[in-house]
Amino acid sequence: MNKHIPQKKVISEQVLNEQVAALPNEMTPARDLWPGIERALNHKSQQVTTSQHRNVFVPSAWAASIAMVVLMSWFTFSPKMQQDIPTLVDSQKHAIPTQGQLVSFMQQNFQQQKQLLLASYGQPSVEKLSMAMQTELKQLADARASIRKALLTDENNVDLLNLLDFTQQQELKLLQQLYRQYQVI
Amino acid sequence: MDSQEKADKPQTTVIDGLVRFSANKSHDFADSDAEHTWIAQAKKGSQDAFYQLYKKHHKQIYALCWRMLADKDSAEDVCQEVFVVLWQKINNFRGESKFSTWLHSVATNVVLGHLRKHKNWLQRVFSIEEQGAHVVEPSVSLTDDSTLRMLDQHISRLPERARLVFVLFAIEGYRHEEISNMLKMAVGSSKSQYHRARQLLKESLTANDFISVEEELSHE
Repeated sequence: MNKHIPQKKVISEQVLNEQVAALPNEMTPARDLWPGIERALNHKSQQVTTSQHRNVFVPSAWAASIAMVVLMSWFTFSPKMQQDIPTLVDSQKHAIPTQGQLVSFMQQNFQQQKQLLLASYGQPSVEKLSMAMQTELKQLADARASIRKALLTDENNVDLLNLLDFTQQQELKLLQQLYRQYQVI
Repeated sequence: MDSQEKADKPQTTVIDGLVRFSANKSHDFADSDAEHTWIAQAKKGSQDAFYQLYKKHHKQIYALCWRMLADKDSAEDVCQEVFVVLWQKINNFRGESKFSTWLHSVATNVVLGHLRKHKNWLQRVFSIEEQGAHVVEPSVSLTDDSTLRMLDQHISRLPERARLVFVLFAIEGYRHEEISNMLKMAVGSSKSQYHRARQLLKESLTANDFISVEEELSHE
């Protein structure tokens, strides 16, 4: 069969429209994707709540966290409290937390906030983050550990306590920013 | 974008003088009774029902992933991710739109999320944009895939932004306003990227590649 080879020319708008309209709806993947999906499903739970509920949950969780931090800071650093300490020491020695206990409490509070945050984003894996972000998070965690260690040997160092609180908040903020981008819908 | 909003869009659009196929041509069928049942059962945690949904829709979703990502391996991985996300979020489907429409919105978001997740995405965009209006040479894996239609091969070689806009607008049926939100660009940029994509496609496709349906019929 003689095949006429036309001269090369740009196709018309009409031909392009026809070709776009004729594109197939489906393509078949080269491998069977279901086994991988099935494995993942066994480790993933379905969201019971709707997005509307979640929109309420996340701000509420954060409001509660912030309120807790504010209260904790007020109890810890309020001048009135510091003035009252001698009285309290005299009257209720058992009720005054040591710096070690305070650090433990801050750490516990931080872990709770972190868990709450991660739960609100569906417990995402750290491996999902880029290496640079993972490194940054690790640096913050290392800094937090160093400050905690320093606090154990440096009694009554308010600056270090503030620094620990600041580092924890930065870590939470970073986590929130990083995982927000993985949300869909 | 509110995925339920998309269902309210008109199902036909006039583009360049032609009535385009349904706003999302790949799912212009109504949800069947069986599908309603699968959805209801999947919402209750039935993986068997979910598998039926997967079987029905995965080829369309894979096509969407492939066209947006222009990479076979990434498309397969992201297609899997779409169905995992679907499993997690299926309770959010309220039946206000067709399931397939909603699923395509989920898939589009997952694909765009995948692109954002990769730190080098912006760099990739810039490096592609710096190449100007020249179509990128196809990779071996793309050209070797003889099962792909010629147009799909050419779409896959478009610069990333132009390709995304083209796929979302011309194939998935999103409006430029929606695309501009999704891709964080101005509406005008979305329009210009679409026209750029069309121009590049017209330049890269030659009359040798295609003849119009009318011409084809007349030759017969």
